[in-house]
Amino acid sequence: MSEHKGLLSSGWSMVARNKRYIFWFYVLNVALARFGAAAFSNQVHEILDHSLLSDRLVHGFDLSVLIEMIARPEFGPTSASVGAATACAALFFFATALFLPGVLQGYASAYRLPREDFFRACGRNLWRFIRLLIVAGIVMGIAAAALFGLHGVLERKAAESTNELLLPEVRFAGLAVIFLVMAALRVRFDLAQADVVLSDQPAVRKSIGTAFRHTLQNPGRLLASYVVTTIFAAAVLVGGIFVWLNFVPPASVAGAVVVSQLTLLLLLIPRFWQRGVMVTYYLQHMVAPIVVQSFTPASVVPPVISQHGPTPVAPSTPPEPQAS
Amino acid sequence: MKIRWMILFFPAVSVIVLSLLVQHHAARAAAPQGALAAASVANAASVAAGPLTIPDTTLAINSDKPMSQRVVHYEIDAKYDAAQHTVNATEVLTYHNLTGQSLDHFPFHLYQNAFQPNSTFVREAKVAGNRDTGYDKWETKEYGSEDIKNLEVVGQGDLTSQIQYIQPDDANKDDKTVADVHLPKPVAAGDYVQFKIAFQTKFPETQARSGWKRDFVLGGQWFPKVGVWWHGAWNCHQYHATTEFFADFGVYDVKLTVPQYEVVGASGVKVSEVSAGNTKTLTYHGDDIHDFAWTASPRYKVKEDGVFQGQMGPVHMRILMQPAHWSQAERHEKILRESLEHFESWYGPYPYKTITLVDPEPDSAAGGMEYPTFITGDSSWFMPDGLYLPELVVEHEFGHQYWYGMVATNEFEDAWMDEGINSYTEVKVLDSILGKNTSIMNLAGATVGEREEQRLSYIRVADLDPIAEKAYDYYSYGSYGGITYGKTASVLVTLESVIGEDTMAKAMRAYFMKYRFTHPTKEDFLKTIEEVSGRDLRWYFNQAIYGSPVMDYAVLKVESFPVNWYDEKKDSGKKDDKETFYRSYVSLQRKGDFVMPVDVEVKFENGEKIREHWDGASRWTKFTYEKKSKVESAEIDPDYKIVIDRNDFNNSYTAEANRKPARKIENYWQFVTQWIGQALAWWAV
Repeated sequence: MSEHKGLLSSGWSMVARNKRYIFWFYVLNVALARFGAAAFSNQVHEILDHSLLSDRLVHGFDLSVLIEMIARPEFGPTSASVGAATACAALFFFATALFLPGVLQGYASAYRLPREDFFRACGRNLWRFIRLLIVAGIVMGIAAAALFGLHGVLERKAAESTNELLLPEVRFAGLAVIFLVMAALRVRFDLAQADVVLSDQPAVRKSIGTAFRHTLQNPGRLLASYVVTTIFAAAVLVGGIFVWLNFVPPASVAGAVVVSQLTLLLLLIPRFWQRGVMVTYYLQHMVAPIVVQSFTPASVVPPVISQHGPTPVAPSTPPEPQAS
Repeated sequence: MKIRWMILFFPAVSVIVLSLLVQHHAARAAAPQGALAAASVANAASVAAGPLTIPDTTLAINSDKPMSQRVVHYEIDAKYDAAQHTVNATEVLTYHNLTGQSLDHFPFHLYQNAFQPNSTFVREAKVAGNRDTGYDKWETKEYGSEDIKNLEVVGQGDLTSQIQYIQPDDANKDDKTVADVHLPKPVAAGDYVQFKIAFQTKFPETQARSGWKRDFVLGGQWFPKVGVWWHGAWNCHQYHATTEFFADFGVYDVKLTVPQYEVVGASGVKVSEVSAGNTKTLTYHGDDIHDFAWTASPRYKVKEDGVFQGQMGPVHMRILMQPAHWSQAERHEKILRESLEHFESWYGPYPYKTITLVDPEPDSAAGGMEYPTFITGDSSWFMPDGLYLPELVVEHEFGHQYWYGMVATNEFEDAWMDEGINSYTEVKVLDSILGKNTSIMNLAGATVGEREEQRLSYIRVADLDPIAEKAYDYYSYGSYGGITYGKTASVLVTLESVIGEDTMAKAMRAYFMKYRFTHPTKEDFLKTIEEVSGRDLRWYFNQAIYGSPVMDYAVLKVESFPVNWYDEKKDSGKKDDKETFYRSYVSLQRKGDFVMPVDVEVKFENGEKIREHWDGASRWTKFTYEKKSKVESAEIDPDYKIVIDRNDFNNSYTAEANRKPARKIENYWQFVTQWIGQALAWWAV
């Protein structure tokens, strides 16, 4: 991996080389959401399928018909639909946690990672990831609570102002700051995840420490890459919805399905791109100090499979001894 | 010297008299500004000096004679303390006893006393809900009060000690929203009586569209107001969580002294503005109105170049906008002008010379309120073009100039007659201006119409209360809102299907023209509709207005079989389908208790349509057809004229399922579910 290649472009190359991961995560996302939406779907069909009133939802979108439908007793409690959808969204989250180590391993690998190696990485790092999640949850939860608390205080102060625009300005500025701080934390834990998997590090705290040290040394670079990818994600979402609203005829269900699903598929890319960026950074900076004595183009280096599992070693120089 | 003095004196007097006369005529003809001051003050002075009377001024209306039977004349001199949010004022109330009998006591509303922890208003709001503050989190600064410091009756002396708080509606001794004064000498029928009251009002942080927020204040229901003698008794209810107001018509002359920096808006016309040091005193005059409200804020931006040429004369539109909403000023003026046009064209002339529209302080409980010639809108710094909430509020509050302002029904007892009738005309006017299905929202492909919004608010609470209920007797605030606004509007829209839209329009106009500047009852309204339509509508009114039965018609079943089904079964697949005779059944059910004739449209697969009529008297009915075509669908009320049916989905049934609408909705839900999963994974893993 060339150090001279940008994080974003290298990360993007990894994503492009491993498109199948996005595809499978998308399939998982669709399948779980399908389960989650099943209860809602049945209720909706029950009420709408034989009623001429439902036509007002096809040729246009009459919100009052939708509201009335949800208010019907036969629709059942909305909590049933929301609960199922939330549960399936949570399942997708856990599935992501389960399969992410395999993705990181695959990204670090210079060749197409065999399926068994992918799942081996997943299984091997499952417990480590759960611990990482717990630590990340605590740290990010505390940070979020503090930031949102402060944000609330500032909002209340701004609400007292006679300048009406101060409140939305404080609100948006505050959310932007919260986003940046949370993204900075996210960067650190993402890097820790990469370290755990790629260094085969059983001591999660050490990966977290390493990640925090490295990000302190390069505070802006990784964060900037995350901001760029997030902007890309926002653009995808806004663009997708814009196309959906403006170019898909109201009566075209197939068109709406295609555009909405394409948007969701594209929305997965930035997150995987961020993973690619992390793996790139890991390989460039964390595996070993890179001593360039003579420039050698990046070559395909076969991964070294350790006794405990796959560990990619990209650089020509030996890795630093791992502290235990 | 003497001759010289006389030579100078007579021309001088002539010039003064002439100029006064010219001023008087100019005041009547021109915009109600500046020059009116002299006339108004002169008038008020004559009232104070001479025998008691109610002025017959017409300074604030486009009419050369009074339009109402004037019962009261309020002269208020108020000083507003912006730091303390208090008003210290003197009030001279002249009352003309037109009751036909002598009166020995007078009840007064002290509305601001509702904003006390143990008032009836707050007790009810805590249990039944309210549109404003959660009363569990109520703070002292939010309290309000209205104290009579001194009350004198001219010719009868100081009666301050005679003031008693009464509770005509409940036994809550802590409620001080009505004070009663017994007079030693009764006021004979036809006589006048004058009260001189000194009072202090402390405004709450905005509650129920009155009070302060930051440096803004809305002075509504802020002065002691006498009750209404109605149907042989005083009608002066306590202030309840769900009630509004009721008062007699008359003349208002109000002086407001406020800090110099305030921008002020008020009912009536401004007749003068005088600065003195750090304060300024603005004088307002109102004719043929039954309340007076005002507002002040240092930050209003004022648009006052709009003039509507009404049927009785020009109407000056004064719009006070929040600075951050200034770009919406045109939008506010447009809907105000269009509302004026529609109301004048459909119901009758707007006689006042002014209408003041206030865009109140953001995040205050002051939005969406009506006072005579003075209304508050409701907007936000972010208001996309396709979201018509400001239009909705402005039209609604302007509509109250007719249904409350001029047709001054009892809002305590017949809330549906102001809010409900106004919601009905709101449906009609907004449908006309903004489109039938898009009058609330037409944004990003999604639409909501006012008619549907009213219906939705009704069907939530359809079986809780009848329309004809005292406002404070509804089960809850939600029921009060859903029934008085939503059900009344839906009932009147549905009535159009019975008597015709044109007849209903004529009835509404007749009702306005007959009962403007009076206090009509519910029967006055209902009988007007019967008279104009020439029909006995008791069967409808008894169910829709006085009762609470719920309407729910349903197509129970649609089925078609070959007439010779047994032979067809044997010869299955051998015959041409077009030659097959089918026997079809369409079964309808009346699931609710509301009985009303309905039309039904039966559509066949060959495109043929048949209209049926069902009186709805029995619980169900069945239509049978024998045709060379199967029934494709059946639909009750195919023209969507009946708005009070609780369930519109079961009003039709298609033999074949159409899964497209459900799939469309399903796709939205799927999208949201997938996106939430992705978002969760984005931040957490």
